[in-house]
Amino acid sequence: MVTLSSSENDTPQPAGCFHCGLPIDVDVDYHQLLDGSQRNFCCFACQSVCAAIYDAGLQGYYQRTPQGVLLAPPPTPPKDIEMYDLDEVQQDFVSCQGELRETHLLVEGIHCAACVWLIERGMMRTKGVESANVNLAGKRLHLRWDNSRVKLSNIINILSKIGYAGVPYDPEAAEGSMKRTNRAMLFRLFFAAFAMMNLNLIAIALYSGADRGQFVGFFHWMAFALATPALLYSGYPFFKGAWSGLRNASLTMDLPIAIGLTVTYSYSLYVTLTGSGQVYFDTVTNLTFVILIGRYLEGMFRHQAVAATNRLMDLQPRVATVLTDGVEKMTSVRAVGVGDMVLVKPGSNIPMDGLVREGSSSVDESMLSGESMHVKKHIGDRVAAGTLNGSGALVVEVQAASADSTLSKIIRLVEEAQSSKAPIQRLSDSIVPWFVLVTLILASITFYLWSDNFEMALMAATSVLIITCPCALGMATPMSIAVASGLGAKHGILVKNGVVLETLSKVTHFVFDKTGTLTEGKMRVDQVIVASGCDETHSLALAAAVERYSEHSVARAVVAAAESRQLSYRNLSVLDFHATAGAGVEAMVEGMPVLLGTAEWLLRNAVTIEPALMLSLDELESQAKTCVHLAIDGQHRAVLVLGDTLRADAQALINTLRANGIGMTLLSGDRRLVAEAIARQLGGMEVIAEVLPQDKDRVIQQLQQRGECVAMVGDGVNDAPALIRADVGIALGSGTDVSVESADIVLMRNELDKVRLATLLSRRTLRTIKQNIGLSFVYNSIMVPLAIMGHVTPLVAAITMPVSSLLVIGNAARIRNLFKE
Amino acid sequence: MEVIYSLIPGMTFFGLVFVGILIWAVKRGQYEDMEGNASRILLDDDEDALLHNDVKDKVAK
Repeated sequence: MVTLSSSENDTPQPAGCFHCGLPIDVDVDYHQLLDGSQRNFCCFACQSVCAAIYDAGLQGYYQRTPQGVLLAPPPTPPKDIEMYDLDEVQQDFVSCQGELRETHLLVEGIHCAACVWLIERGMMRTKGVESANVNLAGKRLHLRWDNSRVKLSNIINILSKIGYAGVPYDPEAAEGSMKRTNRAMLFRLFFAAFAMMNLNLIAIALYSGADRGQFVGFFHWMAFALATPALLYSGYPFFKGAWSGLRNASLTMDLPIAIGLTVTYSYSLYVTLTGSGQVYFDTVTNLTFVILIGRYLEGMFRHQAVAATNRLMDLQPRVATVLTDGVEKMTSVRAVGVGDMVLVKPGSNIPMDGLVREGSSSVDESMLSGESMHVKKHIGDRVAAGTLNGSGALVVEVQAASADSTLSKIIRLVEEAQSSKAPIQRLSDSIVPWFVLVTLILASITFYLWSDNFEMALMAATSVLIITCPCALGMATPMSIAVASGLGAKHGILVKNGVVLETLSKVTHFVFDKTGTLTEGKMRVDQVIVASGCDETHSLALAAAVERYSEHSVARAVVAAAESRQLSYRNLSVLDFHATAGAGVEAMVEGMPVLLGTAEWLLRNAVTIEPALMLSLDELESQAKTCVHLAIDGQHRAVLVLGDTLRADAQALINTLRANGIGMTLLSGDRRLVAEAIARQLGGMEVIAEVLPQDKDRVIQQLQQRGECVAMVGDGVNDAPALIRADVGIALGSGTDVSVESADIVLMRNELDKVRLATLLSRRTLRTIKQNIGLSFVYNSIMVPLAIMGHVTPLVAAITMPVSSLLVIGNAARIRNLFKE
Repeated sequence: MEVIYSLIPGMTFFGLVFVGILIWAVKRGQYEDMEGNASRILLDDDEDALLHNDVKDKVAK
């Protein structure tokens, strides 16, 4: 193994953190004396993890880390792990044999083989752990331990000390039936492959002359012995599919396959019994094998797409502390009903969707919104399951059962996305029965045409049945969509329904929301300009006192500014809080009316604008600063100057779109000058500023009336109507659930670049679908007439048909290479 | 040429045995983690020999 930093090297590596290798910020100082030499770290987490590793005598880990691999800083350890010791919680994912227990942990933070070594050594040195086995590919740990000697929570604790976050999970529930059916398919495939290879050898012998020798009977019976189990076992899915199709009075793709297989097999059996003619057992197995391969690949791509959901499932809380008459009791979330009171301790996950009834706290909703900024929650506020409670304890009245929580909805959304069908696919679905019918009729006609010669007629009809198998047609779209949505999910692009994959490639105009979409959406107060005779801190304190009741990004910035200056704004009495969307907020603070908002709104509320405060405003606004005006007791007293930074990837996205000749509009509720400044920074685009939320939707409508196909990119609740109105709505993962629900595409990570990737993906998918459908039409229109004319033997049909299917599958699979360059 | 009467069924039988082994291996999870086990064999446990005695004692316990 190559060493990353050998222990002989006494000078600490100046390049980066000793543990994770990331660069160390100049202003941080985390260091520790280890084995007689000073080591520097990028953060406290790295330092403590490294110290723990040395304490355990596992420093060999650093020698085993491959050179050049940058480890990430250790993930945040899981909270509330004591609950995993409860038997009722464990029953979901632990198999018990008395005190000897067994479970799987999903481990975050595994990067390389050295981690496998570290975890296994670390675990084996823990008393009570019987065996620990890390699966590097699946990032899982299989654990057996003696519950009387060590608790599961202790094990997870040790794991987090050496830098890994482990969460128990149930592999059955996570991958479940999907994996089982996929595996059953794999076994059928194995058997078909085995039978096919052996039969091909026999077939070669027969074709090269053995069919005239003394062994012909033997070869026929051997072929029969191989083909019969292959047909019954490996071909079972086709018969089942055809039969269930027939019972539901619909013609499925399985039907011609099943008929073709049966006819070929029966004829070959007849030949074997009578001893005259040729057998086609090899055709039966070849066909079975190749069609099974197609099905298996399709199942595999679906499976990969589903894997993306597992991480989300993992966020679902498992237990809740229910308060009944002041008594706390820990129960499984499934047992908690609507209306129950649930206690949420600081630092733990909120188990259910509900309303805060007691207490206040800040909640990390990044799981739902992607915003790292904590959201303040007070009595009456809504909290969502899976989000992380901050510093205060909350009593929450449960509003929705666990299965109806926002998180469950998101998970369902993902699942829906994977099974949804594009119109083009619905088209091919409705074609399939007709296709099958035509195939059956054509086969009958062929049989009739050749009826003088029974063997020829049978062979030609079978060729038609096999060769026109609409597999390629039926697989063309689902394969492409499955591959594309799987690839999307892997890159954080959730396609809610297949339709938009089609529409997105036709979009001619993009509309962007400004705040939170093109910009970070994290405002901060840069400057407070006060009128003469006013105190800056006092103004800010008054502003914060009002704004803490608002959820607007400006409000958060003002409150954050007050917090950072440690102003005591919380003890000011605030009454009659009222917010006017897109204008401002007002309240009575200590008996004085305080207004905070745009200058126009202040004017409308009979406030005289102070000219001295307005002097530098134009200049500030042309620098893309937002100015919020503060009026106290009817007097214009101060201007808060707020700044927002452009997202790092905004420029690249705009440039790409412009290069593709796509029109763009910036839509903002903000002042015109500010919005224009942003547009200018991005190289100029149409700006529609000072729109109220309800007007955003109208702007989209106007664009559509001009004949544009519009895609809207937004994040907030106020964008929701526009997201629905637009031909394609793209919500940034910052999704307030309204916007996520209204959008067609959800970008899980807040990266604008994903918009570009989604466009690329949709173009590629549509192109692939068209190619595939074209491919199978060309194939059918050439091969069917040939088969009817009797120029195609079943053998040739059995080779060409799968080849066409494989072409389609291969072509769809090529989508996966899209983001690799 | 009569030998093929025993050779072909014999080979087919061996083929079946291999299919059986393959299915058994998949069921046992032999293909679950190709990377991990490949590197695990390289990360041998020679480290303990280099450790101080007190650490070794701790490990031994």
